[in-house]
Amino acid sequence: MRVLLVNDTDKPIGELRHALQQAGYCVLEEVASPAALLRAVESGQPDVVIIDVDSPSRDTLEQLAMLHDQAPRPVVMFSGDGDDALIRAAVGAGVTAYVVDGLAPARLAPIVQVALARFEQESGMRRRLGEVQQALEDRKRVERAKGILMNKRGLSEADAYAALRQQAMKHGLKLAEVARRVVEMADLLG
Amino acid sequence: MTGSEPTTLRVAYLPLIDCAPLVAASRLGLDLQHGVRLQLQRQASWAAVRDRLVSGEVDAAHLLGSLVYSIELGIGGPRAPMAWLLTLNQNGQAITLANPLADALARGLPLPQVLAGLGRRAIFAQTFPTGTHALWLYYWLAAAGVDPMRDIGVMSLPPQQMPEALAAGEIDGYCSGEPWADAAQACGIGRRVMSSGAIWPGHPEKVLACRRDLAALQPALVERLSTCVLAACRWLDAEPANRLTCAGWLAEGEVIGAPLGRLAACLDNDPADPAALAFHRGGAVNLPWLSDGEWFLQQFVRWGWCSAEVAAAALVRDVHRLQSFRRAAATLGLPVPVEARREAALFDR
Repeated sequence: MRVLLVNDTDKPIGELRHALQQAGYCVLEEVASPAALLRAVESGQPDVVIIDVDSPSRDTLEQLAMLHDQAPRPVVMFSGDGDDALIRAAVGAGVTAYVVDGLAPARLAPIVQVALARFEQESGMRRRLGEVQQALEDRKRVERAKGILMNKRGLSEADAYAALRQQAMKHGLKLAEVARRVVEMADLLG
Repeated sequence: MTGSEPTTLRVAYLPLIDCAPLVAASRLGLDLQHGVRLQLQRQASWAAVRDRLVSGEVDAAHLLGSLVYSIELGIGGPRAPMAWLLTLNQNGQAITLANPLADALARGLPLPQVLAGLGRRAIFAQTFPTGTHALWLYYWLAAAGVDPMRDIGVMSLPPQQMPEALAAGEIDGYCSGEPWADAAQACGIGRRVMSSGAIWPGHPEKVLACRRDLAALQPALVERLSTCVLAACRWLDAEPANRLTCAGWLAEGEVIGAPLGRLAACLDNDPADPAALAFHRGGAVNLPWLSDGEWFLQQFVRWGWCSAEVAAAALVRDVHRLQSFRRAAATLGLPVPVEARREAALFDR
């Protein structure tokens, strides 16, 4: 398990190295700028990034999270005054952050574990949700394409469906893709 | 106002030139005149602004316009119902390219060829994945035939680090607010090839935003906040000397801390130019146009960040606090447009 420390604020994040190493983590060379962070993520492939909530590099991590499903999981750290609402917001939907109240080294390892477990769970849920949404949209599209065929060619519902399937098989395409083309063409032709 | 103590409102901002209305509202005492006290809290990233706004650690924020909708829909981060109280400014951002690329473009070479000349994938920087700078950059690239999702590499950087990254060859170009295009130009490492006002003269940029629960539960308080910020916007556009005064406040270390000359130059522009940085224009800048939000949503769909169904279901009329804005404008005796939508005058249309 590889951990990257982003040490670009006055909070002593670099001091976590020892505790993390003792807990059995491989701690990559720490970075102090967004550019170095990007290089380290590419070359070191960290599983976890530990970063101060007030780090100027946070937006760089946001972009990584948006780009890749396999992006590193930022662990956002707060100093002792991290209040519950802020923690809930940071851990909220989509953001792979976990919050620590203070930098107590003894608590660090379990927190990193929980953050990772939480990330796995959330990304699995997001993936499934994405799949369900896609399936729903595909179905709507097929329904619309069927409607268009029924309307324009006077087909029954069953025949319209059969015609779509036949096109799909003939061209080696997914049914939803054929439906998308039919709908687009119909939009174009008015 | 009433004789009671003004309510303190914590407002998060990023040290960029378009936080000027918030700074002016506080320095001129416009906040106290309208029964609120602005406590401005500088942040180091948009992610921090977002998290503090969502958590309630701050009450309102200087926010990238499109970020209102990425929070509203929970794209790439936490989701929370949002309120777009007023638009702080239009225009004032720019796309900068490294000198060799800017030269090739100036010679009339089409952009796809210019980038192909690198012999590798071009890397561009913006300020936040779903931010306005990303949207201006992607719009401009796509209009020139470059697919920003496939043909280039993208990273988000704090704008003050962009000129340095350009000089180091880590990026080939970037989109940011001023004075960061100006900075690259001043040290001769890159050139401004397109101002955001040339992409869409009068585009929405930063906004004053809060959570929708605050706007709904404390309408009078939020209206007082809008009123004092709107008064500051009016003041900034009233005469050039006001902008110079404000440049002095922005130059202070704890506000932005950039050279006064550079800030003043970026704030000093021709008010008649529709592509120039504007804070007010008789209130036309500040009205939370429904169509501005709808344009951001269209772009989210275009780049695959949300489905057309999700965008269509967005509660645009709840997000844009038109009534509250109109009441604030009435308090100041400002006649503002009666329409709620306007044309998006993009350069390639």
